[in-house]
Amino acid sequence: MPPLPRDYYGFFGFDRKLAIDSAALQKRFYELSRQWHPDRFGRKSAEEQEMALEATSILNDGYRTLKDPVKRAEYLLTQDGFPIAEQRGKDVPPELLEEVFELNMMLEEVKSGDESARPQLEQSRQHFLGLREGVDRELLREFQRHDESVEASPTSKQALQEIRGLLNRRRYIENLIRDVERALNPVTPSRPAPG
Amino acid sequence: MAYSDKVLDHYNNPRNVGSFDKSDPRVGTGMVGAPECGDVMKLQVKVNQETGIIEDAKFKTFGCGSAIASSSLATEWLRGKTVDQALEIKNTDIVNELSLPPVKIHCSVLAEDAIKAAITDYKKKQGVLTPEAVAVH
Repeated sequence: MPPLPRDYYGFFGFDRKLAIDSAALQKRFYELSRQWHPDRFGRKSAEEQEMALEATSILNDGYRTLKDPVKRAEYLLTQDGFPIAEQRGKDVPPELLEEVFELNMMLEEVKSGDESARPQLEQSRQHFLGLREGVDRELLREFQRHDESVEASPTSKQALQEIRGLLNRRRYIENLIRDVERALNPVTPSRPAPG
Repeated sequence: MAYSDKVLDHYNNPRNVGSFDKSDPRVGTGMVGAPECGDVMKLQVKVNQETGIIEDAKFKTFGCGSAIASSSLATEWLRGKTVDQALEIKNTDIVNELSLPPVKIHCSVLAEDAIKAAITDYKKKQGVLTPEAVAVH
């Protein structure tokens, strides 16, 4: 048997694009799941059984990564030499920092029992949700720019750089939303999303 | 991970917490943040415009103990220095003073960035923004 492709795109047989049709991805996931199902390897050699196990693990990790646009972009960026973590705070626009600071002041008030900041906090939550939507729209635009350009071309690299900045911003905003929601609903356990 | 005694001291008794009026021409404000961990740090200096000496410094940091300690220490060091001397404070000095472990070095980097941002803001207000002051950023 040929060695297993380690790369998620290669494993799924998908082009290295940032926009992926989720229905096609799911279909491919089911096909590959059947192909590598351990039951089909019950009578095979130990070596092949091990390979099937490994394939299932790559398959599951790969599906989890590729079906989520943010995780997918982070994966492709890291592979193409744009590791996310290596970026410093310079990409955070100053006005966002200002807002974050104000937000933290409010959070501190609410935590110390001052309920008057609560309505403002709810407003902040809406505001940051809106910011995240904006980032997501920009991300989709850059995904398209990347996918339409030639691989490793200046345009493609520029798009990846842009995406890295956006992903960092998104992560920042995501953390803020989490903090606000925690402060607004300190005892409510998180409910799983419907469906 | 255990914090060093000095970090704990600054964390439990932070020096110079507070803020100055941002619009005061003697005040320089630096606001920096780290997207990875959500830390945000505001550091302000109040400068004697005749001597160029930093007479007071204040900070407010939302972040981990090391980030709070780094900025607290920075305000202590800033007092009495000229604005140009302030720019010589390096994050490695903070790392050494507080015995920060490698995973917390970014907190000291944040503090250094905050100092530079505050001094740059002050210089901008004075209208003496030199190319060097821009370049250090």
